[in-house]
Amino acid sequence: MTRQALFHKWFLYALALFPVWLLDACILSRYPLFGVRPMLLPLAVVAVAVLEGSHAGAGFGLGVGLLWALAYSSGKGMMVIGLTLVGLLTGAAAQYALSQSFLGCLLCSAGALAAIDLWRIAVRLFVRSAGWTSMLRVAVPEILWSLAWTPLVYLIFHAVYRRVGGSRLA
Amino acid sequence: MKDFFRDNGFWLLLIALLLSILLGLGSVILSGSTDPLSNLANTLTSPFKSGVSAMLDWAEGVYGYVFQFSEMEQELSDLRRRVADLEEQARQGQEALAENAQLRELLNLQERRKDLEFESAKITARSTSNWESTLTISKGSAAGVEAGDCVITETGVLVGVVSETSLLSSTVATLIDTSIEVGGVVTRTYSAGILEGDFDLMNQGLLRLSYLPEGAGLVAGDEVLTSGLGGIYPAGLVVGRVQGVFNDAAGMSRYAIVDPSVELGGLIEVFVIKDFDVVE
Repeated sequence: MTRQALFHKWFLYALALFPVWLLDACILSRYPLFGVRPMLLPLAVVAVAVLEGSHAGAGFGLGVGLLWALAYSSGKGMMVIGLTLVGLLTGAAAQYALSQSFLGCLLCSAGALAAIDLWRIAVRLFVRSAGWTSMLRVAVPEILWSLAWTPLVYLIFHAVYRRVGGSRLA
Repeated sequence: MKDFFRDNGFWLLLIALLLSILLGLGSVILSGSTDPLSNLANTLTSPFKSGVSAMLDWAEGVYGYVFQFSEMEQELSDLRRRVADLEEQARQGQEALAENAQLRELLNLQERRKDLEFESAKITARSTSNWESTLTISKGSAAGVEAGDCVITETGVLVGVVSETSLLSSTVATLIDTSIEVGGVVTRTYSAGILEGDFDLMNQGLLRLSYLPEGAGLVAGDEVLTSGLGGIYPAGLVVGRVQGVFNDAAGMSRYAIVDPSVELGGLIEVFVIKDFDVVE
């Protein structure tokens, strides 16, 4: 694949990320459902990782992690490493254990969201004595509400993949 | 025709003379009213006059439209610009009025609380996570803001506590955030407790007042202020009102659910308390 084709492909993926980010940061965060806001950025990383493989997923995760850390007021630097790992692991899981399909993406998304929230719970349990049951009451609705957005996010990135994904531009 | 006038000229002159005399006499007799002949002539000619007048008006309109269109367009454009300017001025006036009212409130607070040193700041971002409730404000360490400073509204209602600062901005953990722990006191009964955020309450916009003393007779609607105990945060800042009093799961102590007075979603400008006198 030429450098230009590579640039073209990742430019389109970045462009596809824009509406997802807009939905996540500007629309759904303003109108929480029963006080719960979904996390769409990890879904975007998982979708790209499932479609493009673990290395590409890790790279995309790094970029999205940077966006999360810099553009969100609640963003933390840990998310850069977190989403890179999410991209790497879900890409490998979809490639070798599951399938590079919507079902694979849904399962990987569930795993990634659960891992992120488990990390958050572990940190809060370690730092102070917040009850894990009350934290689960935040985590479970958040994961479920986020998963409801998987079809849309997958559809957006799959549309890009069908155009320029894999080695189509090679 | 020439022969007719030559042959009947005399008669014509006579008739004209008689008509003149008749009209003259008529105008004398019917003074103040139009004579019948003129009336007849006016009646007969008025439709034509109206028609011609209407045509001339129309022609004038067309002329104006064709030859003065650009002038009218220019005038319309000027008027539109003028309206926009006036609207902008009105809007600025409204903003100035609101700011004026806010500063008057702050002035009142400063009169009442001479011990507090304020720094005003704008809200620039709000957290989008289910795990925390934070605001980003437009002042940071360059303006003397430090972690642990209390943030209030212009009326002295507690918004939260600065949790992180950078050079030009700061993160404020709002009073419903789970990282918050502030001493609180119920004004009616002087019962003191610890105000703290809770994951179960945060998404409902509430917080709890824990470790209430035995026999604290709180009722819904009681006002809660900061106690200032320990000297970390200033005393007397309005927190909210008690919504209900409950026993904890172990049944060992009681806690109250507090509804904050601050409307976190509607905040635009806040004031950071950079310094205050510790009340022992």
